[in-house]
Amino acid sequence: MSDEHRPDPDEERREFREERESLWRITLAPATWVAHFVASYGVVAVTCAKAPDLLGAARLGLGLFTLVALAIILWLGWRAWRQWDVRNTGDYTNALGEAEDRHQFLGHAAVLLALISAIGVVYGTLPVVMLETCR
Amino acid sequence: MSDTDQTGPTGPYPPTADMLAEPVPQGEQDRTAAELRAAWAPPTGWRYFTAVNNSEVGLWYALTAFGFMLLAGVLALVMRLQLALPDNDLISADRFNQFFTMHGSAMMFLFAVPMFEAIAILILPAFLGGRDMPFPRLSAFGFWCFVIGGVFVMGSLLFDAAPTAGWFMYPPLATQDEGPGSDIWLLGLSFIEIASIAAAVELIVGALKCRPPGMRVNIMPLYAWYVLVVGGMILFAFPPLIAGDFLFELERSFDWPFFDPTRGGDPMLWQHLFWIFGHPEVYIVFLPSIAIAAMVIPTVARRPIVGYSWIVLSAVGTGFLSFGLWVHHMFTTGLPNISLGFFSAASEAVVIPTGIQLFAFAATLIAGRVKMSLPMLWIAGALAIFTAGGLTGVMLAIAPFNWQVHDSYFIVAHLHYTLFGGMVFPVIAGVYYFFPFIRKKMLSERLGRWAFWLIFTGFNVTFLPMHLTGLLGMPRRIFTYPEASGWGWLNMISTLGAFVIAAGFVVFVWDLLRSKGSQTQVPRNPWDAGTLEWSHDVPEEYWGARSIPHITSRYPLWDDPDLVARMDAGRYYLPDSPHGHRETLVTSVIDASPELAQRVTGPTWITLWAAAFTGGAFIFPTFHMYPPAIVSGAFAVVCILYWLWTSTARPPEHGMRDAGLGLRLPTYASGPKAVGWWAVWITMLGDATAFASVVFGFFFYWTAKPDFPPEGAMHAAPALVGLAVLVLALSWALTLGARHWNGAGRVGAARGALVAAPLLAAGGCAALIASVQALEPASHVYPAIIWALMIWVVAHAMVGIIMQLYCLAGSVSGKLTPRHDADLWNVTLFWHFLCLTVLVAGAVIGLAPGVL
Amino acid sequence: MTANTTDTGRRGGADRGRTGLLLLTSVILAGCEGQQSALAPSGEDARVLGNLFWVMLGGAVILWLLVNGLFFYVTRINRAALSRRFANGLIVGGGVIFPTIVLGGLLTYGLSIMPDQRAPGDGLTLRVTGEQWWWRVEYWPEGAETPIVAANEIRLPAGERSEIRLDSARVIHSFWIPSLGGKMDMFPGRETRMSLKPEVAGRWRGQCAEFCGASHALMAFEVVAMPPDDFNAWLQAQAAPATSPTTDAARRGARIFAREGCGACHAVRGTGARGAVGPDLTHVGSRLSLGAGTLTTTLADFERWIAHTGAIKPEVEMPGYGHLGAAELADLAQYLKGLE
Repeated sequence: MSDEHRPDPDEERREFREERESLWRITLAPATWVAHFVASYGVVAVTCAKAPDLLGAARLGLGLFTLVALAIILWLGWRAWRQWDVRNTGDYTNALGEAEDRHQFLGHAAVLLALISAIGVVYGTLPVVMLETCR
Repeated sequence: MSDTDQTGPTGPYPPTADMLAEPVPQGEQDRTAAELRAAWAPPTGWRYFTAVNNSEVGLWYALTAFGFMLLAGVLALVMRLQLALPDNDLISADRFNQFFTMHGSAMMFLFAVPMFEAIAILILPAFLGGRDMPFPRLSAFGFWCFVIGGVFVMGSLLFDAAPTAGWFMYPPLATQDEGPGSDIWLLGLSFIEIASIAAAVELIVGALKCRPPGMRVNIMPLYAWYVLVVGGMILFAFPPLIAGDFLFELERSFDWPFFDPTRGGDPMLWQHLFWIFGHPEVYIVFLPSIAIAAMVIPTVARRPIVGYSWIVLSAVGTGFLSFGLWVHHMFTTGLPNISLGFFSAASEAVVIPTGIQLFAFAATLIAGRVKMSLPMLWIAGALAIFTAGGLTGVMLAIAPFNWQVHDSYFIVAHLHYTLFGGMVFPVIAGVYYFFPFIRKKMLSERLGRWAFWLIFTGFNVTFLPMHLTGLLGMPRRIFTYPEASGWGWLNMISTLGAFVIAAGFVVFVWDLLRSKGSQTQVPRNPWDAGTLEWSHDVPEEYWGARSIPHITSRYPLWDDPDLVARMDAGRYYLPDSPHGHRETLVTSVIDASPELAQRVTGPTWITLWAAAFTGGAFIFPTFHMYPPAIVSGAFAVVCILYWLWTSTARPPEHGMRDAGLGLRLPTYASGPKAVGWWAVWITMLGDATAFASVVFGFFFYWTAKPDFPPEGAMHAAPALVGLAVLVLALSWALTLGARHWNGAGRVGAARGALVAAPLLAAGGCAALIASVQALEPASHVYPAIIWALMIWVVAHAMVGIIMQLYCLAGSVSGKLTPRHDADLWNVTLFWHFLCLTVLVAGAVIGLAPGVL
Repeated sequence: MTANTTDTGRRGGADRGRTGLLLLTSVILAGCEGQQSALAPSGEDARVLGNLFWVMLGGAVILWLLVNGLFFYVTRINRAALSRRFANGLIVGGGVIFPTIVLGGLLTYGLSIMPDQRAPGDGLTLRVTGEQWWWRVEYWPEGAETPIVAANEIRLPAGERSEIRLDSARVIHSFWIPSLGGKMDMFPGRETRMSLKPEVAGRWRGQCAEFCGASHALMAFEVVAMPPDDFNAWLQAQAAPATSPTTDAARRGARIFAREGCGACHAVRGTGARGAVGPDLTHVGSRLSLGAGTLTTTLADFERWIAHTGAIKPEVEMPGYGHLGAAELADLAQYLKGLE
C-alpha cells in the first residue's frame, strides 16, 4: 500500500511501519542456537573421527564459542526487550490490531525465544564440560 | 495511468467505523450473493471429483487418512492377538513383520502427517475468513497423489508383498531385502512425501498471504502460527528423507553402494537422514494437534488465551529444537559420548517450550470461567496421556537410560503415549469441536462419552503395562516370545486393552457416519467461540466467507458483535464476483493490508490426471518397469504444463477490481507480491535442503571412513566440471537478463536470451554427464555419490530448461508480457537456487577430492 | 457437564490409582524373578541404570500428579475465574524456571554416569558377531594370539569388567543383556564396543534388540557369570578340541554328520568339519540353548531342530533334515549332545 493513500501517517506510526519488521528476526536467537549446536556436533564428530588427540583443544574452542553464542543471544534478547517495551507500556498481551501492538508482540516473542535459545546453548555446553574423551 | 498498468491498491484503508456501519441495500446483497454462489458452486454428479475447493478436498483428505488409520489399527489388533500368548502361531513371522512395518508406516505417512494437512486445508481458510487456499488445484493434486500412493502401499499387504524391514527401513536389511517390498515403501512413500511438501507450501503461503485485512501477526489465530511453524518444519524435515530415498533407490535399482559397507558405504548415513526427518516428524504431528487444543481451550475457558506470545514462542522454539534431537534415536549406535550428550541436552531443552505450552493452557483455564464440553473432555484425556508420554520422554532423553530401554517395549509405550496423547486425542477433540462447522450437525454427546471412556481406558490398559514389559526385557518387533520370559500376562493385558480401544473407535466411527437427518439445524456458533470459522453459513454455502472481514482483534466474534451480520450483508471485501471468477484476498505478510484480489482455480480433471501419471512414474519402477515409468513421467509433465498454462498467471481481462469499501485492488501480481513466487521460494527452500542432505552424505563418508575418497580413485574430469559450471551459470545469467529485458520492454532481447539459455543449460548438462563417464558408480561409494550429485544437478537443470522454454512460449503467445511477467519471475527464482546448486555440486565434485 | 459424569471421572481416577498400585507391586515381584529384567540388575552398569530409573520414575510420578491435578482442579473442582496473576506466574514458574532447573540437574546426573558405563575392560576381551540369527562368539584372554571360538552363549568372569567388541556379518543387530547393562548396536563393517561387569555369579538371558529380519524374535542367548577360577577352567575346556563319540549311536551320528555335509557350514574342532558359515559346534552339547536361545539342548530338541529347522526359525539359512529317518536323527542328536 503506497503512502499517499494512508490517512496522513504521523511520526509514531512511521516508526511501526510494516516495512521495518520481519518475521525472520524472531528466529535469529534460535538460529544462533542452531549454529552452536551444529558447530558442537560437527567439531566433535570430525575431531573424534580424524584427530581424537585434539579433543581437548576442540572442547576449549567450543567453550569459547559458547560464550560468543550467549553474547549474541543476550544482545538479541536485549534489543527485543527494548522493542517489547513492557516497562513503559505495562502491556503483556499486545492483543490489539494496531501496528504498535504488533511491533511489541514481535519484540516479546523474540525475548522469549532468546531465553529458550540461551537455555538450549547452556544445556548444549554441559557435555563439552563434563565429558572428556571420544569414547 | 491506465487500469491495467496499476500495480498497487487504491482507495481508503483501513475502513472507518462509519463506512462499516453503512448498510448494504437488500437488492445489492441478493445480487452479489447470487454471483458468489454461482462462482463457487461445487461440481455435481460424477464431476464431483473434479472439485478442488478446500472444503471438499480437505474432507476427502481427512476421511482417507482416517480410513488408513483404521486399517493400520486393524493390523495392530492382529499383532496384539499374535502376541497375546507366548509361542503363538496365529500369523507367520513374515506376515507379522509386514504388519508392524505397515502399521508404523501407515500411521506416520498415511495418517498422522496427511491428517494434519487435511485438517489444515479444511479449516485454515475459515480461521482466516478466506475463501479457499491460494492454490486449490495443488491441494487436489496432493490429495490424489496421496490416495494413489496410499492405496498402492497398503494394497501390497493383500499380495503378501508388503515391506518387512520396519517403518525406518534400515539398510542393509532393507537394501538386501528380496522382492519389491522395500521399493514399494520407498517409491510409494516418496510420492506421498512430495504431496506433503506441496501441502506445506500451500499452507505456509495460506497463513502468510491469505489472512483477512487487518489480521496482523500478533492477532493471528494460534492455529495459523502452528501451521506456519509446522509447514516450515516439513520443508526442512522431509527433504533429508527424500534425499535418503533417492540414494536408497539408486542402491536398490542400480546397486550403487551408498549403504553397503563392503564397498565403502555406510548404513549409518541412512539412520542420520531418516531421523533428521523422523524426529521433527513427531513434532510435525504433535504441534498442529496441540494447536487444536489452543483453539478449544479459550472457548472452554470463555476468555482469550493467556500467554499468546508464550505459545508462539513455544511453537517456534519447539520447531527449532526438534531438529536437534534426531540422534536420540541412535543413542546405541556407538557414537562418542560427547556427541550423544549434545542430543541429550537438546532433547531435554525441547521439553521446556512444550511445558510452557501446557502451562499456558492451564493458565487460560485458571483465569477463565470453565464451561466443560465434550471436546474439552478429549483434550483433558490428551493432556493426561501426553504428560505421561512426555515424562517418559524426559527419561529416554538421558542417554544411559536409553541404552537400557531403547528398542524395547518401553519405547512402544512411550511413543504411543506421546502420539495418542499428542495427536489422536486432540484430533478427535477437533472432530467433535469442528463437526458442526464441517457438517452443520452435532455429534452425540452420549456416544462421545462412551467412545472417550472406552478409548481412554483401553489405551491405558494396553500401553501402561508395556513400560514394564520393556523393562523386563522384551524387545520391540518380535513376532513371538518364549513362555519362560514371563511376559505372557503383561502381553495378554495389552491385547485385551487393544480391543477395548477398538470398541471405542467403533462407537466413534458409528457416531461419525450414522445418519443425522432428523437432527434439528445446528446453531451457527454452538460453542460460543470467538474465532472467525464460526461465522460460517448454516445451511452450508460453498463460498467460504460471504465477504472477507476487516479484523482488529484475536477473537473477532467476541469483540465485534456486528461482525457476522456485516459479513453476511456483504459489507466487507470481495462480496461479489462480477466476472464469475473464484477469488480470494491476498494481503501483506506482517500487517495483512490488502494487496491483491487473487483469482483462484476451479474444478478440473487435470489434477487427477497429473496425479495418476505422477503415480505411474513412481509405481512402475517398483517393478523395474522403466520404459512405462518414463512415458508416465512424460505424461505427468505434459499434464502439469497444461494445468499451469491454462490456469495460472494468465493476464487478466480487468486489471483492477472494486473490492468493496471503496478499495480497488489489482488482479495480477508478479514477483514477491504474487503468491506463486512465494510458493516457488518455499518449495526451493525444501529442494535446497534435500540437496544439502546429499552433500552432507559426501562429507559424512569423509568423516566416517578413513579412505574416502579411496586412494588412487578416479575423479571427475575437472575441466569438464568447470565448463559445466560456467555454462550453467551463464544460462542463469541469461534467465535473469531475460526477466530484466522483458520488464524493460525489450521483448526481443528477452526472447533471444530465452532461446540461448536452454541451449547453454543443455550443453552444461552434457558436459557434467561427460565429466563423470570414467567413474564406475557400482564399484565404490565415492564414484556413486559423485554420480548421484550429477544426476541431481542434471535433473534440476532439465526442469530449468522446461521452465525457460515455457517462458519463451509464453512470451511468443502473449501470455507473458512486460507487465504480466509472473512466470519469468518465478523461473528466475528457480534458477537462482539452481545456480547455487550447480556451484556447490561443482565444488564438491571438482574441488573437494583435491582438498580432502 | 452433568454431576453424573463428574463422578465417573472421579471413579476412573480412583480405579487408575488402584491399578497403579497393583502394577507397582507387580513391578517389584516380577522384577525379582526376571532373567532378562532391567529391574533385577546383577551387573554394575545395570545397577547404576536401575537407580537412575527409580529416581526418574519417582520424579515423573510426582510431576504427573501435579500437572494433571492442576488441570483436574481448574476444570472440575473450581471452575470460577481465578487470579490472573497466579496464571501468569504459573507460566513463568512452572513453564520456565522449574523445568530449567530440574532438567539441568537431571541432564548433569545423566552425563555424569556416562563415562563409567563405557569404561574399558580389565582383561578378557570378547568379540561377538551378529549373524542372521545367531551369535558368533570369540574369547580373547589377555595376550591371546588366537581366539577360543564358541557361539550363542556368553560366559563372563564375575566381578571383572570384560571388554566386548561387536560387529556384524550382514545386517544391523543389537547386543543386549538387560540384567547386566545397556545395549549396543552391531554394524557390518564398523566395530562398536562395550564392557560389562557382572557383580555376582548367575545366569541371565540376552537378546537381539535391533530388528534384523524374519527371525529377529528368535535371536537370543544365555549369559553365565562364573567365579573367575571356574571361568578360566571352563574357558580352557572350550579351547580343547571336540571329544570323540563314545557310544555306538554317537559314532553313527558322527558318520551321518559327515555324510550329510554338515561340516561345510559347521566346525567341530578336531574333526574334518571346518565350516565357518554356521555356529561352531565343538562343544555344542554343553551349551545351555540351541538355535540361539530358542530350544534347550536335550536330545529331543536336537532332533526337532535338525528336522524342522525352518519351521522353528523362519527363513533360517540351515536347511531342515526332515528326510533323515527317526533313527538317524536320534543318532545325530546323540553325537551332538555328546560334544560337551
